[in-house]
Amino acid sequence: MATSTYLSNPVVTVNAVDLSDQCSGATVNQTFAQLSNTAFGDTAMKYTAGLQENSITLDLYWSTASTETYATLKSLVGTSTNVTIKQTSAAVSATNPLGTLTGGFLAELPVVYTVGELATCSVTFNGGTFAYTEA
Amino acid sequence: MALRIISARLGEPGAFWTPVEGVNVEALIAGGFLEDTHTAPGKSAKNKTKAPDAANTTQE
Repeated sequence: MATSTYLSNPVVTVNAVDLSDQCSGATVNQTFAQLSNTAFGDTAMKYTAGLQENSITLDLYWSTASTETYATLKSLVGTSTNVTIKQTSAAVSATNPLGTLTGGFLAELPVVYTVGELATCSVTFNGGTFAYTEA
Repeated sequence: MALRIISARLGEPGAFWTPVEGVNVEALIAGGFLEDTHTAPGKSAKNKTKAPDAANTTQE
C-alpha cells in the first residue's frame, strides 16, 4: 500500500511570504456546497456542485521579529490574499502538487500567550478559490 | 511602480519583484518585505539648500 507521510518540510506561503519555518500545522479544506438535484423517478439522492467554500488554517508561532509572523499578517486582517502550500520543498510536480487558495479572507488574528510556552496564533483564510497545480 | 525585494522570505533580496494577482502589495511594503524604489530616497532625491532670498528676508 502506497502511503505518503509529510512531517518535516512542507512549504507554506501567505501573501507570497514564506512562513514555513514559523508554521507547525496546516489544514486545507476544499469544499463545494452539495445541491440536491434529486427529482421524481430517482431512487436515491443526487447532488451537483454549488459554490466552493474553501479554507486554509495555519498554526503559526507568533514572532514579532522583523519580517516574521506579525509583520506578515498585521496588514492582512480584514483583507483577502493568496495562501499556498506544497508537501515538500521540491519542484512542483504530480507527486508534489502546489495547492493555492486565491482570495482567502483573514477575518481575525488570534494570538495565544501561555506562560512557559512559545506564543502561537492559528489563522484561517476563508473563501476564495482553491486549486492544485502540478507543474 | 518598481518593487525591490528586501526580505529573503519573499525572494532574493535586491531582485525586482513582479506583482502577483491577489497578493496584497501594500501589506508586503508595510511588513518590510518590499520597497517601492520609486519612493525610496536616492541620490536625485537629495534636498538642495536654497540660499535665502534677500528681498524676502524679514529681520526681527
